[in-house]
Amino acid sequence: MEIFLQLVVSGVALGMIYATIAFGYQLTFATSRTLNFGQGEALMLGAMVGLTLVLMGVPYLLMIPFVLLFGLAQGLVVERLAVRPAMRIKSEFGWIMATIALGIIFRNMAENIWGRDDLKFPSPVSEVPLQFGAVRVLPMEIFVVIGALAMMAAVEFFNRKSIYGKAVIATSNDRDAAGLMGINTNLMISLSYAMSSMTAAFAGILVAPVTLTGATMGSVLALKAFAVAIIGGLDSALGAIVGGLLLGVIETLTGFYIATGYKDVPGLVLLLIVLALKPAGLFGKTAIKKV
Amino acid sequence: MRNAIGAIVVLAALAAFPLVIKNPYYLHLLIVIGIYAIVLLGLDIVVGYVGEVSLGHAALFGIGCYTAGVMIFQFGDAAPWIKSWGFFLLVPMAIAVTALFGLLLALPALQVTGPYLAMVTLAFGTIVQILINEMDFLTNGPLGIALRKPDFLAMFGAKGLVDATRDVQFYYVVLICAALSVLVINRIVRSHFGRAFEALRDSPIASDCMAVNVYRYKVYAVVVSAALAGLAGALYTYSEQYISPNTYSFELTILFLLGVILGGRKSRLGPIVGAAIIVYLPNLLSDIFLFRVLTAFIAALAIVIVASAFIRNAPDKYNRLIPGALCVAFFPFAMTLESVTDYRLTIFGLMILFVVYYLPDGIIGYLTKTFAALRPKREAADTGEVVVDASTVWKPREFEAPDGVLLNVKGILMQFGGLKALNNVDILVKRATVHGLIGPNGSGKSTMMNVLSGVYQPTAGSVQLLGEEIAGRTPSAIASLGIARTFQNVQLFGEMTALENVLVGLHHTYETSMAGVMLNTAASRHEEQEARKRALSILDFVGLAKVADEQARNLAYGQQRLLEIARALALDPVLLLLDEPAAGLTAPDIKELMRIIERIRSEGITLILIEHHMDVVMKICDTVTVLDFGQKIAEDVPSRVQSDPRVIEAYLGAPADAAA
Amino acid sequence: MLTVTDLHAGYGKVEVLKGISFSVPKGQLVTLIGSNGAGKTTTMRAISGIVKPTGGRIELAGENIAGIDCHHIARRGIAHSPEGRRVFASLSVTDNLRLGAFPRLTGHRAKGDVSADMERVFEMFPRLRERAFQYAGTLSGGEQQMLAMGRALMLEPEVLLLDEPSMGLAPRLVAEVFATIGNLKAASITMLLVEQFAAAALEVADYAYVMENGSIRHEGPAQQLKNNAAVRAAYLGGGH
Repeated sequence: MEIFLQLVVSGVALGMIYATIAFGYQLTFATSRTLNFGQGEALMLGAMVGLTLVLMGVPYLLMIPFVLLFGLAQGLVVERLAVRPAMRIKSEFGWIMATIALGIIFRNMAENIWGRDDLKFPSPVSEVPLQFGAVRVLPMEIFVVIGALAMMAAVEFFNRKSIYGKAVIATSNDRDAAGLMGINTNLMISLSYAMSSMTAAFAGILVAPVTLTGATMGSVLALKAFAVAIIGGLDSALGAIVGGLLLGVIETLTGFYIATGYKDVPGLVLLLIVLALKPAGLFGKTAIKKV
Repeated sequence: MRNAIGAIVVLAALAAFPLVIKNPYYLHLLIVIGIYAIVLLGLDIVVGYVGEVSLGHAALFGIGCYTAGVMIFQFGDAAPWIKSWGFFLLVPMAIAVTALFGLLLALPALQVTGPYLAMVTLAFGTIVQILINEMDFLTNGPLGIALRKPDFLAMFGAKGLVDATRDVQFYYVVLICAALSVLVINRIVRSHFGRAFEALRDSPIASDCMAVNVYRYKVYAVVVSAALAGLAGALYTYSEQYISPNTYSFELTILFLLGVILGGRKSRLGPIVGAAIIVYLPNLLSDIFLFRVLTAFIAALAIVIVASAFIRNAPDKYNRLIPGALCVAFFPFAMTLESVTDYRLTIFGLMILFVVYYLPDGIIGYLTKTFAALRPKREAADTGEVVVDASTVWKPREFEAPDGVLLNVKGILMQFGGLKALNNVDILVKRATVHGLIGPNGSGKSTMMNVLSGVYQPTAGSVQLLGEEIAGRTPSAIASLGIARTFQNVQLFGEMTALENVLVGLHHTYETSMAGVMLNTAASRHEEQEARKRALSILDFVGLAKVADEQARNLAYGQQRLLEIARALALDPVLLLLDEPAAGLTAPDIKELMRIIERIRSEGITLILIEHHMDVVMKICDTVTVLDFGQKIAEDVPSRVQSDPRVIEAYLGAPADAAA
Repeated sequence: MLTVTDLHAGYGKVEVLKGISFSVPKGQLVTLIGSNGAGKTTTMRAISGIVKPTGGRIELAGENIAGIDCHHIARRGIAHSPEGRRVFASLSVTDNLRLGAFPRLTGHRAKGDVSADMERVFEMFPRLRERAFQYAGTLSGGEQQMLAMGRALMLEPEVLLLDEPSMGLAPRLVAEVFATIGNLKAASITMLLVEQFAAAALEVADYAYVMENGSIRHEGPAQQLKNNAAVRAAYLGGGH
């Protein structure tokens, strides 16, 4: 029982990382019905840039705004190079392939800049676990949970409170009608990509200290986060959190009770099952198809 | 014919290759190209014909590899025959096992499309790679499996007669397999299966309404594609003589996709060219000098192409400027690279971007588009000249209509959230009449069409066709019962010819199984011949026989509307639903349309017609039902409906003086 | 104020508008009537830039705006209350109204007093005030129509385009909507109204154009067209 509790607690931090990345998928999907297949690379680049800054002596907290800015810029690049041209020629195949292509370019660039070996990201907080009854919690895990929640809350706050955020929501509700309001909907899509990559980059510097940092760190995380986005539905932030926690916990349990090598399997199997039974996700609304 | 001669020449040249070039390196390169070509030919069915992105083909390929590998690893020592004669067991087994995995993937995954499907197949790929790695009791894990190519000559006791190394022998095996794959795929894509694949990409909804069950045919496509990946996998195991889990990575999947789109989709030559490029590319990239020479060549070629476009003053000359500049700019970039191997993935990525935006038809597609001489002859030539035979147009279904009632719609309620798009509507349609359905915008006419054709499932109520309840059935099931339809916003299969569009409508007349198609049986050829004859006759009936070989998207709008009717007639309907057939037509076109509708009715086919051109409605309808706010407000002969005050109010608004 | 000359537009291969010309003088209410599929909505969409015209000119206060992006047209002062209302379902009523003033709030148009204008909208549609913090998606059809009109007014437009404001509404609400249109006319707002319900539209309008098959068939002062048999024929056929 104690071990079980311990595993659940460890799963929570991981789950919040998934939730943050899944949240990023939701942002771009809402405005443009597109997803960045290179979301994992956005996360990895965030972690890498963060690590570089930390190694240059910039304190962790001071490094965060730089990484966020970098994420914003990287999202704009993805939108401009991979998504917009494909949307102009109305090619779904186009943006899927183009975001994949950009993803592998980014990954390859990272390999050439930072090397192929995994690096250690120094933990910004103490690495001595805190004891809560029988359960031990790493301070970084608490930091991850708080950070992820804060990030999502900040983006939601921006969307709910600022006129530009509302314009983003309006664009996702009805693109044509948003255009009639004088909203530059292309700009809103760029903005959603910028915010999406920013949340991913932030997830990168959150997860880096608890795992290893390397060029390939993002791809599997992003894939599992997609599973979370599907499980939670592509239109519900709460769904992303619930789905993330669910997957995080299942994964740590699998890793312990079956074998570490298999820990990635349940999330992906879950993805297959959810899509087969309820394609709109557990929390999503089903869409009416129109002829 | 010309294609066949070309294929034979190429085959002969390839068969002679080992006799001329003795270098084992090039032989091996050709073997791998052949194997990859088989994978890409299969992947092309999913990507090119069905139009979906699969990121799981590296995994399917891996399953093929490991089916053969695991059998040898597990049983090879206990039963040595597996290492020799086993080849003839293991290759079919790899095909079967991989096809089975393809089915396991397809059943849940094909519930979704587009980006979802891409992610699901990626998840599948990742799972397979993990499992191969982790299940070391079965697969020997990361250590991999080693084996040898079989010595076929020794097996057949022909060692003394012919002298060839195992590599050369195996080369011929791969050559035969690749040639067979091309042959089989050719047959499939030209059959009703291939047309179903293409149709469901262009318009899934229209496919379903032509009694082609989209889901089922997508599953077929994935399974065929997987089977080919399995064949290629087994061959790869023998060709490399060593397999290990990390081969079947995301990178390989991307390489496969690059191969298909770079070579050119929807062709046999494209995947082969693509395979040659992706196999040769890594070798090329390991030689910096060769790489620089090639980029210089590409830059020069780009300059020539762009310059010639400007000299000829081609209309799309400015469109070529950016890709041309990119090609040229790549050359100095290539000069700065010290070692290309490290930038391999970047180069793949750039190539994908380039192909997606500037070479969407791939190399072969670009060449055939640019040089008309390379364009394949239309398929009509393959099956002999088809002649119009008006007697084959109509094949009325036999049925009994008690009291002359064909369709009985009772109490239909269609609710979207809080909105009642149809509220308790009854309609009675008599046999061999034209029944008009009119009403203001948003009154529920198109919703009714969608309910009748099964696109929407009504919230309540019943729809009886000749006494049989059809509400709640799938569109393809309803189409099979004889309800055909057209669409308000034309839903043709744009990349297919007019004739092929009608042939999709005739899908229900085919009985040949996939195996029959692959073997090209006499029955299958006869069936195809008959269907083509009928399709052309139906086209002739609507006056489109002369454009039979035009792609549907290139037809004039009026012709597209008529083609939709022709396609619907091919279903041999008892009831034909026409949704605004006259919208966007010119006056002479409308006259022609009315003549056609009259003729259809005289063949005993009942029609339901939604139309805004009131003159058309008033002239040809026997009965008219008027909907307003989802409710039926009138139903009568046209002249009386026209002067019904409630109808006038529904159309013109309240005050009665407007009608004076 | 708004002058359309030989406007052509369509979707893909289909040419819906086959060269139409009309004008909306400042402070007047002009209506386009005609049956389904005549091209009324496409005309509206071409003016506001959702559909790119394939030919012709659209002049707003003498400046050609044909072909420029939708959001730029809105910023120049054309407010479009679209067919089917198209309110932002997952935003509150207040947020919908604020977005109507988006160009004013983001410096693309004279700011003026946004909150006073919102107050005016609430006075015009008291029901919206009651529902100010509700999601727009939860409103009834009639309330959504009011919101769509209020949202368009928030632009302080030079020209207001009203597309089928009565569509899908119960007769009582239709009357209410037309009363509002009458009020706006009294406030001398320049309006172009597309209506299927010709009778009601002709009642409020100054001048009317009758569309059929992508062309303008008749035009004249609204009062004169009211009892014209050709108008009825355009809807129900048989007048030739």
